[in-house]
Amino acid sequence: MANHSQLGFQDASSPIMEELVEFHDHALMVALAICALVLYLLTLMLMEKLSSNTVDAQEVELIWTILPAIVLVLLALPSLQILYMMDEIDEPDLTLKAIGHQWYWTYEYTDFKDLSFDSYMIPTTDLPSGHFRLLEVDHRIVIPMESPIRMIITADDVLHSWAVPTLGVKTDAIPGRLNQTSFITTRPGVFYGQCSEICGANHSYMPIVVESTPLKHFEAWSSLLSS
Amino acid sequence: MSSALLPKPQMRRLLARRMKFHLFGAFLVSLGCAALYKFGVAEPRKRAYAEFYKNYDPMKDFEVMRAAGVFESAPPK
Repeated sequence: MANHSQLGFQDASSPIMEELVEFHDHALMVALAICALVLYLLTLMLMEKLSSNTVDAQEVELIWTILPAIVLVLLALPSLQILYMMDEIDEPDLTLKAIGHQWYWTYEYTDFKDLSFDSYMIPTTDLPSGHFRLLEVDHRIVIPMESPIRMIITADDVLHSWAVPTLGVKTDAIPGRLNQTSFITTRPGVFYGQCSEICGANHSYMPIVVESTPLKHFEAWSSLLSS
Repeated sequence: MSSALLPKPQMRRLLARRMKFHLFGAFLVSLGCAALYKFGVAEPRKRAYAEFYKNYDPMKDFEVMRAAGVFESAPPK
């Protein structure tokens, strides 16, 4: 989860998120270079009395057409690379359904056993000491770490969005539609997210908590729950 | 005062000279900012991720977190 006053991304816990963080650094670097250029020229223009009766400047027109085109290509190439990387689905080990309701999530593990539960936010008044306000839920989803997971996301009533920033996942939950996303967690841990599509009064109070554990512990947990 | 002693100053293309100088300077400044960000932020971040995962043991990390009571599905032993 994010610390207070955190401006940047959370540490990545999936390979796609690592790529996205790197791409963001690249795009921000380009944006910084352009802003520095414009600011320099603007400062110059504001400080100096410049007059010009130039009416024809073919060379500079050529430069400031070709250079931005090159910059756009430099941005587009890694962006498309990551976009296609995100769409690769190779043989997920587990398929998990997330159904958005007002104002909680329902999760279904139907691959091997018929396991389904609701996940409500723990109200602040019931929150144990040391737990995260407005982020904890009564039933967390548990997934095996370092395994490709497929998420099928939909909604029961209005639009919601299932998002976990550290995994680089954000997918809209649309009633009547099944959206698919996939991810792999590179390490064990507890990852937090929140509903990311306005869905009514308690939109801010339907968080998502994902526990990534070794396969052995995931199997023990799922056996316990389905018994 | 004899004007033959003084060299004739440059009379033309003054704006063009200034613009060339400052455009060059502007590109230098912008590339400098980009290099500063790349070597001050982006490269250290890539190195930090590489260092973290170089000798990373997920099971050991899991056991440490489990002992701390972080997981609800895997309580401490």
